Amino acid sequence: MSPFDKAWSPYAAGILIGLLQIPAFLIIETALGASSSYVTVGAAIAGLVDPSLLKIEYAAKHVAANAKNYWQVALVGGIAVGAFASMKMSGAVRASISPIWAKALGSPSANLRYAVAFVAGFLMLFGARIADGCTSGHGLSGMAQLSVGSTIAVAAMFAGGIATASLLLRRI
Amino acid sequence: MSSVAVGIFSGMLMGIVFGFALEKSRVFEPGIIVGQMQLRNWIMLKVFLAAVATGALVLAFLNGFGIVKLQPKATLYAADIVGGLILGAGISLAGACPGTTLAQIGVGYRDAIFTLIGGLFGAVAFSYAEPWLSKSLIGTGPKLIFTDLVNIPYWQGALALAAAIVVILVLMEKARPWRDDLGSDVDGDLAEKVTQPPSRLVPAE
Repeated sequence: MSPFDKAWSPYAAGILIGLLQIPAFLIIETALGASSSYVTVGAAIAGLVDPSLLKIEYAAKHVAANAKNYWQVALVGGIAVGAFASMKMSGAVRASISPIWAKALGSPSANLRYAVAFVAGFLMLFGARIADGCTSGHGLSGMAQLSVGSTIAVAAMFAGGIATASLLLRRI
Repeated sequence: MSSVAVGIFSGMLMGIVFGFALEKSRVFEPGIIVGQMQLRNWIMLKVFLAAVATGALVLAFLNGFGIVKLQPKATLYAADIVGGLILGAGISLAGACPGTTLAQIGVGYRDAIFTLIGGLFGAVAFSYAEPWLSKSLIGTGPKLIFTDLVNIPYWQGALALAAAIVVILVLMEKARPWRDDLGSDVDGDLAEKVTQPPSRLVPAE
């Protein structure tokens, strides 16, 4: 398990991710999560155009300058840096769009993929904010805490994901 | 709670470790995530369950010894189901979840930038709709955890969950070794394996 390897076992990676709960709980008094940061960044940007958005309590709560909000924004920013560093250290080279999309969407069109990705991102965050958590917050953290609601949300997430990948996407 | 500066600094460091692990395991790859949702690639579930079991173990210790308080989310049946279904549909079409979208951007996937922008629009749209949705759909609920339902301490349930997950992972690994799910190159594309000679089946090291 060297940082220069191209692949680690899913178990090694999963254990490392699980251990991140320790600093999250000890330093920030929260569990790992990712989707709230989209509200923090999105509402901060949209608030410049429409300041009335920040009068909505939900948006105001997420842009408030506290450790938890900005910790999560830094966390997802760090994810991009960490993935970039890992790729460079192993010398992995990737196409600009994963080769699976031409098969899954039945078309090699980059513009089609960009449009689907935009809609997918919208659905992901709209759904995650309704459920109050995503794969990280409900999945990793909620299940580890034996949360009843998170377990239901994760089951629904996989049900929605499996149905969509089977019915709307072609076999990759 | 810590200061904003401590939050940003620790978040950045933790994010780098998180992103590193996501790239090394390939779990952030569209091929791995769509493959999991089409039930033909099991790396995502393995990483996920290993992380849940590890989290349960460390929280059994930290909470059992009274060092930290648990932070479970409220149980909101309708919101958890409706939101979870929409989120799951988005994950399959994105080939990513909200966190791994950033890992995809980090390795240079251009479509992930559109996923991110769509996600920001989705989060803002929800913020506008939240006052209405919270009344009509989301509501409020108790912060239920399973061990409270059966009146045992959290740490006992957490250790039992971790043990159960270890058994499940051992069985999964026997049924399908993780190296078989890596694909022939770094992008987690399994399909090439079918047309290639057996010598290429060995994953790149």
